[in-house]
Amino acid sequence: MLKRLLFADFPVLDDPQACRFYPVEIDLERCDGCKLCTMVCPAATLELAGEKGAKKVRLIADGYGCISCNNCYAICKQQAIKARRHYKMTGFYNTEGLGKFSPPRKSFKAEPFCEA
Amino acid sequence: MGAAMAKQSAQLQMPEDQELPEEEAGRDAEIVEIADGADWNVVERAFLTRRSIRKFKKKQVPEHLVHRMLEVGRFAPSQGNCQPYKFVVIREPELLAGMEEYCVSECRRLSGAIDYTAYPEGSLKRIATKSAARLFNSLDPNMMHPIPLTATRAIAAGRFMVFHRAPTVIVILMDNHGIGVPAIDIGIVGTNIIMAAHSYGLGTCWIGFSKLLNRSPQWRERLGVTERFEVSEAICLGYPVGKPAESEIERATHEIAWFENGEKKILG
Ligand SMILES: Cc1cc2nc3c(=O)[nH]c(=O)nc-3n(C[C@H](O)[C@H](O)[C@H](O)COP(=O)(O)O)c2cc1C
Ligand code: SF4
Ligand code: SF4
Repeated sequence: MLKRLLFADFPVLDDPQACRFYPVEIDLERCDGCKLCTMVCPAATLELAGEKGAKKVRLIADGYGCISCNNCYAICKQQAIKARRHYKMTGFYNTEGLGKFSPPRKSFKAEPFCEA
Repeated sequence: MGAAMAKQSAQLQMPEDQELPEEEAGRDAEIVEIADGADWNVVERAFLTRRSIRKFKKKQVPEHLVHRMLEVGRFAPSQGNCQPYKFVVIREPELLAGMEEYCVSECRRLSGAIDYTAYPEGSLKRIATKSAARLFNSLDPNMMHPIPLTATRAIAAGRFMVFHRAPTVIVILMDNHGIGVPAIDIGIVGTNIIMAAHSYGLGTCWIGFSKLLNRSPQWRERLGVTERFEVSEAICLGYPVGKPAESEIERATHEIAWFENGEKKILG
């Protein structure tokens, strides 16, 4: 505990280099502005914007904090939104053993692990 | 190849009692072959389409369904079969509102003490709150991970909720006198309950923030949390808004070390 207090490197929360939250990919062509993703996003990073009747989803100005859960993808009927990689922290909270994003694989082709 | 196989079968000699005698074959479980690439079965599909639900319809969950999922929970594995849990089912809107309010106020308090992002770099307040955060980080680094901290801040700011206005909340009380690591048993019993709920088309979300209730003697008393127990987790329950459980999603792969045929491979 003392060692942690003195030496551990805890990433600074508002430093985007230390806490790297990757923005979700949004396909504006596909998005029909149904709003469902903004309602289910646990990080509250999504909002609708644009002309009335032609609203589309976008990241909020401080579009920070996406936990890469793909709740937005799961509920989107248009497949217009998707998280493609896991968030990454530096120092104490750096992850190990997490690779690239993949849908559930029914058949496992032995691929060597590669850190994302 | 042949030599390697022979060597392997020598190593994997079955002890006699691992096979039933031939005349008893009728009593033995059949081995079901599942082809590589076969479609997901019902159970797998259920696991792959479960999502945490944080937006619920107003409609209350029928009482019999809550009992039914708790029954499925009762048959969960636990260390030494010790079943170190009790449940508190809350469907009283005033009580739910009170729990929400209390947890939000705790998040505000915590944020006030340690959220250094509220102050500019170099300011005295930033230095003071950041030192406090560092101490908290060192004391309880898992709880102080940036993700729960960000959520705490969002709850304090009213941008995120604790119990997501679910019509039913199941609080899981953990018996600290259980065997081994009781928290693991909580995770397993909760998974049983959640997967049963998912199979009825209900939505659920684990609520780790429910632990905040332990800080209040009043809430402990109201919920009947006796000395040796603690609020471990809660499960929000209700009918989901939208259709959040239809598609499979993408997630990170995990490193898999695989030992076979005298080789070690690192797969992903
Ligand atoms: C033990 C545990 C506690 C959790 N606590 C919360 C919580 O307090 N609030 C919340 O909104 N989600 C909570 N979650 C949900 C996770 O954020 C969620 O499981 C994760 O993002 C993966 O998304 P999925 O469940 O939709 O697959 C918790 C999950 C677990 C397993
Ligand atoms: S759920 Fe899909 S279509 Fe609806 S607003 Fe979000 S991205 Fe657009
Ligand atoms: S991946 Fe999850 S946290 Fe990120 S934007 Fe989508 S719903 Fe929100």
